[in-house]
Amino acid sequence: MTYRHARWLLAVLVPLALLTSACGDDDDGDAATGGGGACAEVSAPDDAPAITIGAQDFGESAILAEIYRQCLVAAGFDVTIQAVGGFRDLELAAFESGDINLAPEYAASMLEALNGQAGEATPDAVETTELLNGYLADIGLVALTPSDAVDTNALVVTEATSEELGITAISDLADHTDLVLGAPADCETNAFCLPGLQSVYDIDLSAGFIALEPAAVVPALDEEEIDIALLFSTDSRIVSNNYVLLDDDEGMLAADNVLPVLTTELAGVEGLAGLLDAISESLTTDGLTELNRRFDVDVEDADDIAASHLESAGLL
Amino acid sequence: MSAWTEFVDYVTLADNWWGRRGIAVRIEDHVRISAFATVVAAAIAIPPALWLGHVRRGGAIAGAVVNIGRAVPSFAIVALALPISLRYGFGLGFWPTVVALVALGLPPIFTNAYAGVSGIDPAVVDAARGMGMRGPEVLWRVEVPNALPLLLAGLRISAVQIVATATLGAYVGFGGLGAFINEGFRQQDDGKLLTGAVLVAVLAIATEFLFGVGQRLLTPWTIRKGHS
Repeated sequence: MTYRHARWLLAVLVPLALLTSACGDDDDGDAATGGGGACAEVSAPDDAPAITIGAQDFGESAILAEIYRQCLVAAGFDVTIQAVGGFRDLELAAFESGDINLAPEYAASMLEALNGQAGEATPDAVETTELLNGYLADIGLVALTPSDAVDTNALVVTEATSEELGITAISDLADHTDLVLGAPADCETNAFCLPGLQSVYDIDLSAGFIALEPAAVVPALDEEEIDIALLFSTDSRIVSNNYVLLDDDEGMLAADNVLPVLTTELAGVEGLAGLLDAISESLTTDGLTELNRRFDVDVEDADDIAASHLESAGLL
Repeated sequence: MSAWTEFVDYVTLADNWWGRRGIAVRIEDHVRISAFATVVAAAIAIPPALWLGHVRRGGAIAGAVVNIGRAVPSFAIVALALPISLRYGFGLGFWPTVVALVALGLPPIFTNAYAGVSGIDPAVVDAARGMGMRGPEVLWRVEVPNALPLLLAGLRISAVQIVATATLGAYVGFGGLGAFINEGFRQQDDGKLLTGAVLVAVLAIATEFLFGVGQRLLTPWTIRKGHS
């Protein structure tokens, strides 16, 4: 009961906190002063430009932005984090205006955002990143090597629904199109949501679709107001709440590997790309899920989570 | 300009008007929840406001309590009401939204009804008592009719605010015109976004107009030649 309320309060307070932290505690890099890991072995060139990392409005983005920030601060860069809301368009606009020059991103989703949801992304991370870089080059950006951490859209049902209706894979939904899907409103146009289900699986769930704020999806599933929920595959609640992650048996989902996207100017700064690559090497799907669990379930701060990740990876 | 063209394209396509997520259903939902919330807010606010105004006591404290509804952002109330609504089986959408709308609607109705009654010239009340009226009679035959113009103005303010704010329901699964705004924003579809925004504005203006007509019908003595 208190846990559930705390989470809701969090849903209200976290955006506020992100906003205020973006507004000016750029000197709380003290977490990054300890240790003596790989991050501190690089020293930033004197003429290195200031770095502003764009963080989107969900926990994982905040954690990844903090990981980038603390490592780069340890190397002597001047780094701040800027909240850029919850839409990729806002992030791209922030890149264009120069408000940010680095952001944690997802290969396939960013590719589809840039190509107008054309469905070019494949399950292969390297191939998808190459395609992505083709589009990014036009707008002065570049994506570095993708990490092994994959965060795709995930369709989940409760254990009870799965057992009762015998649903374990997305294709099993074909006989159950009366089920209610709850997801953020962009599901209606997202290539890895309703349109993908239609084109890849020939399953039309649009009749029972309910648009919800991301924070409302899990409570709605728990109280059986919706039957199928759209979450991210690294959402720790899939495991902790015993949800059944529906197998993408016909390959709708593509390589949404976490990778850093930055301006070509920044990518040319000596030592920087190496640090970001080292961070990417430290990230795995399971590891990221655990970091998210600490954020969503244990309600730890993103900067503490980031610091302990960097330390355990020998980076800080 | 292009957003405007997208808006015109959207609202002139018949397919966008009908069906489960069509404009027609969403206008109906929007009107339904707004009317319901206004009625509930009025039912909660008016009786104590009239009574406290009648006895001319406790208005400041009650006003402060009621004003919490104006101080707490409606979005926060929706967010807090959702898990409670889910827990007790009231579901998504309608009820969490109604809670926020009622909280928003209470202050103008209460404050105006209270001010309407308590602000009546004491000489008028004294005259009524001098004619032999008792407490309840004074309230119903003198104070309420005198307070009616202000009371109706309070209702009108609340109703217009409620119509504009019912858009928040879209974040917790309620249809209504806010769904066009939410979808337009999330899907980067300016046509949808403007559809929601313009229709809400039209509905708010229509509400204002209807209450104006109602006010003229119910309190014709407030309309004099040469005044509006």
